[in-house]
Amino acid sequence: MNGPAAPAILVSGARKVYQPAPWSASRTAVEDVSIEVPQGAIHGLLGPNGAGKTTTLKMLLGLVLPTAGSFEVLGKPSRVPANRAALGFLPEQPYFPSQLTAIQVMRLYARLAGVSSESRAARSSELLERVGLERHGHARLASFSRGMLQRLGIAQALVGSPSVVILDEPASGLDPVGQRDVRNLMLDLKAAGTTVLLSSHQLSEVEAVCDRVSILDRGRLAAEGRLDDLLNIAGRTSVRVSGLPEGLPAAVSGMTDDVAVSGGVWVFSVRDDQVRSVVDVIDDAGGRLLAVAPKRESLEDYFTRLLERPAPEAEVAR
Amino acid sequence: MIGRLTSIAGAVFMDAVRQRVFYVVVFFGAALALAIPSLPTYGVGVAVGSYREVALALTFTGALVLTLSIAATRVPGEVDRRTVYNVLAKPVARLDYIVGTWLGVAAVSAAAITGFTAIEQLVGLIRYQEAMWQLWQGALAIWLEMGVLAAFAIAVSTLSGPVVVVVSTLTMLFIGHSRDGVLGSSPSLARSLYPSLDAFNVINPVAHGSGIGSTVVVGMLLAFTGWAGVLLILGSLGFQRRDL
Repeated sequence: MNGPAAPAILVSGARKVYQPAPWSASRTAVEDVSIEVPQGAIHGLLGPNGAGKTTTLKMLLGLVLPTAGSFEVLGKPSRVPANRAALGFLPEQPYFPSQLTAIQVMRLYARLAGVSSESRAARSSELLERVGLERHGHARLASFSRGMLQRLGIAQALVGSPSVVILDEPASGLDPVGQRDVRNLMLDLKAAGTTVLLSSHQLSEVEAVCDRVSILDRGRLAAEGRLDDLLNIAGRTSVRVSGLPEGLPAAVSGMTDDVAVSGGVWVFSVRDDQVRSVVDVIDDAGGRLLAVAPKRESLEDYFTRLLERPAPEAEVAR
Repeated sequence: MIGRLTSIAGAVFMDAVRQRVFYVVVFFGAALALAIPSLPTYGVGVAVGSYREVALALTFTGALVLTLSIAATRVPGEVDRRTVYNVLAKPVARLDYIVGTWLGVAAVSAAAITGFTAIEQLVGLIRYQEAMWQLWQGALAIWLEMGVLAAFAIAVSTLSGPVVVVVSTLTMLFIGHSRDGVLGSSPSLARSLYPSLDAFNVINPVAHGSGIGSTVVVGMLLAFTGWAGVLLILGSLGFQRRDL
């Protein structure tokens, strides 16, 4: 009988203390961070600058020596080089040897990733086409723009057909069309069963694709769970209405919070148990109901709130 | 593993030979080779020997400039520009990366030394009507010594920046050729433990004699293998502990 599938990524008790020299002061970059990503999911890793996201990823990839913790990909220690065959990685702002061409770089990374010599050329061309660089395969990378390098970085991360892909700020440097392409690419990967760990500052991107997120703050795990569960404000519902030229009916005004009006559209929140009566009053007043949804904090507000807290205490939403 | 090493070495080679410094050094080397016969020391009856000696010195200097400029900057540059992430996040051990980089530098050095020696041989043939095949023995010795120096430079560069690497490598070169000056020429334990590079010093037999024998070649190969092996292992151990 087969046991449960190993998580695609398992980070347990990760800790990293930097101490440049024995006599210098130490700095804890990551403290007791644990992340579990099931196979086939897109998991977001969020946090303000300096939160420890990239350090955690680097420990997982064997680029930084952990002070403590264990790091596994598909049930095997990821710090052992051979076990990284199943892993693809896009670093933040990727750079490449500038005198090589895109095709040469792709073939180099294909070989390093263990792609067979027969399929290297085809795989390289296929991926360059997938990221929109098919016409630039023979151009030296010194002539590439920031966005083109980012696209090439994504292509090289996928060259070994990895089961697990780690993307550090994949939309960085891309125009809106490029950002949409990256979002679609992640959804395509997920549809194909590939696990994606996405570290990003683009909160809209995270909201659009991630099943769950881990939020780091000052080196610690501040929250973990589904975005809806983390951001929805318990007991409050958001209502959008229009067609109220005289303003909100008096019977409603007393029940609302966070009222905003723009272009004849009113947005406000009410307690969940007041929704029915508020809707009835709006209806009677001739207003048009546009939306009723759980009131949700924006990720920006959530982050701001996190940063204002003295020390992170993990908030887990299941 | 061999595939990974040759891939990394190939990338280092292709990247390096497309840098301007490579062609500048080879161009000036060729120009200087053409100018050797006009040096004032000629005309005292040892013109051919002097030509060979200066040609070897020219090859050594050109190869040293190229080898150091690549070996001292490759690893720190890849770490600074973070190109190393794309390599080491794949199933590539740090030892593979260090050895592959070294092989690439050695290949660049071999290409440059071959170019220098071919030009010098051609100039010698035209000017003195002598083939001077022993220049290739000197080229081998220089390439082997450059291999050791590249291994040293790469090992130091895993922990330090290019300035420290260049200074320490030149210091190592100086110390490596100073054994007789420091310890004298009589056999002793200290002498046998001294980090000497004299095995690669073949100027006299190549420039003024009839070349080197197989015993000298074997000695050079042993010294090369021992030095380069130890230095690359030390380098990869240092790199292993480094946060990138």
